[in-house]
Amino acid sequence: MKILDVREMTKTFGGLTAVDGLGIEIETGQILGLIGPNGAGKSTAFNCIAGVFPPTGGEIYFNGEKINGVKPWTLCRKGLERTFQIVKPFASKSVLYNVMVGAFAVTDKTAEAEAEALAVLKSLHFESRKDVRAGNLTIADRKRLEIARALATRPKILLLDEVMAGLRPAEVDEMVAIIKELRDRGITIFVIEHIMRAIMALSDRIVVIHFGRKIAEGTPDAVASDENVIKAYLGEEYVVS
Amino acid sequence: MKPEKINRIALVLLSAAALGLPLVVRSATYLHILVLLYFYAYLTTCWNLVGGFAGVLPLGHAAFVGIGAYTSTILSLQYGVSPWLGMIVGGLLAAGVGILIGLPTFKLRGAYFALATIAFSEGLRVMVENIDRLGPFTINGPRGLQIPPLDTGLTNFMFAGKEPYYYSILVMLAGVLFLTYRISRSKLGYALNAGGEEPEAAMALGIDVARTKLIAMALSSFLTALAGTFYAQFTLYIHPKSIISLDLSFEIAFIALIGGRGSIAGPVLGALLLRPVSDFSRIYFGDTLPGMHLIIFGVVLILVMNFQPRGLQEPLTRLYQKVVNRLFHWGALEAAR
Repeated sequence: MKILDVREMTKTFGGLTAVDGLGIEIETGQILGLIGPNGAGKSTAFNCIAGVFPPTGGEIYFNGEKINGVKPWTLCRKGLERTFQIVKPFASKSVLYNVMVGAFAVTDKTAEAEAEALAVLKSLHFESRKDVRAGNLTIADRKRLEIARALATRPKILLLDEVMAGLRPAEVDEMVAIIKELRDRGITIFVIEHIMRAIMALSDRIVVIHFGRKIAEGTPDAVASDENVIKAYLGEEYVVS
Repeated sequence: MKPEKINRIALVLLSAAALGLPLVVRSATYLHILVLLYFYAYLTTCWNLVGGFAGVLPLGHAAFVGIGAYTSTILSLQYGVSPWLGMIVGGLLAAGVGILIGLPTFKLRGAYFALATIAFSEGLRVMVENIDRLGPFTINGPRGLQIPPLDTGLTNFMFAGKEPYYYSILVMLAGVLFLTYRISRSKLGYALNAGGEEPEAAMALGIDVARTKLIAMALSSFLTALAGTFYAQFTLYIHPKSIISLDLSFEIAFIALIGGRGSIAGPVLGALLLRPVSDFSRIYFGDTLPGMHLIIFGVVLILVMNFQPRGLQEPLTRLYQKVVNRLFHWGALEAAR
């Protein structure tokens, strides 16, 4: 079953078309990777789907329900959750506090939210840092906190916007393992990523966009050998013919 | 002794001290200063719901004090309504106005929000100063309203001595502190803090940030207006300059920033520090250097913001925790012996 179905989505800012007739389908339980050169419109596409701003044209369906222009907080309660490329921790608060904010999306009681948050932290092997102030975390831990917070809202689909940017190779491997584990728990994953090694290892399918348009789609291997993709990333002259 | 138990004992001792203070402080002047100290601690605690937790800087809370004071006073003078009832009416009116101000202004950030709230409260003051009668209500423009001290007693919220006022405002302060404590540990408190610190992240985590801010604003303006009624009954004379003045709004913000916004103890600590400065500088410099207290506030604010940007509550809380821990370990050692 398709959990997310984006049809002909377009987003323009004044005269600039950032996303141009983009179509994306994600099956429940899949990991879908979205890649593309800088400025290709990946984050804009994410923002449209996550309700930050409505798309200019096209339709977005989540579990068969049209969600064009639905606000982020409503989407969160429906089970569509996202993380941010530039991490946004509640810096003056503890890790536990941060995750509890997410957990309050599924409960009204403080004690339940705390239990839920602790369970999430434990599942990410993060509970030893629960009393650390979020502002004092390393970048890898901040990324992990983004995921922990999002998980606490019990999402059905998780939109991860470059959760591996800025991580060391060992940390990237750890993050890949975490994301695979989330999928095994039944959460559908939609991920934007620049680190090719990670996205190739992770994704079931990959969509490549360039100038807001989809230029390729398929398994990681198929996409990696696609002529259009190599052109987009490296330029015309690097295509081996 | 467990730290929780030490905390509870400290709280009991503090309450006992506050309750017993009028037995020691017999001078009406000092009692008056204490009442105003609690009054400001109360106002700042109300302000803190928006200015602290929701992370914006409202500088027009005097408007709500004014709405509360005028509503209950007009109702009691002209219609014989008990100030207690008028207090609630004023609170509800202020909450409505708070929401009306919040709807357009919460979209503004930082200084723009602060300016918008100043503009609103100044607008209200100028209006009240220039209106003698509004429909059936006598407002009396700049001359203000005087409450004749005829029927003293609890039902009229009017007393001959200062002590009953002292206990009234103490109960109000304790109530609003307890409420703040509960809110800070509830879903609403988490949502407010999150929305104040990183609105986009908060929205993504299921929080309707604008709505939580409006709830906080309604609550804050309701509670602030209650203090307005108290002030009217305490001084028995209100006029626009005394009660809808920017001075009042600014002093609340000063107390909050210096004490520590967003914390529960901050407003009380701030009032404990700044109110005596304000009162004594008025007593000693009132004729030669009026406004001296504002200069002192400014200097203190600069110092505090430089060295303790989270306000005085942070080092003091840390010190208190240290003392509690020391007591706890000492107690454990004694028990082991």
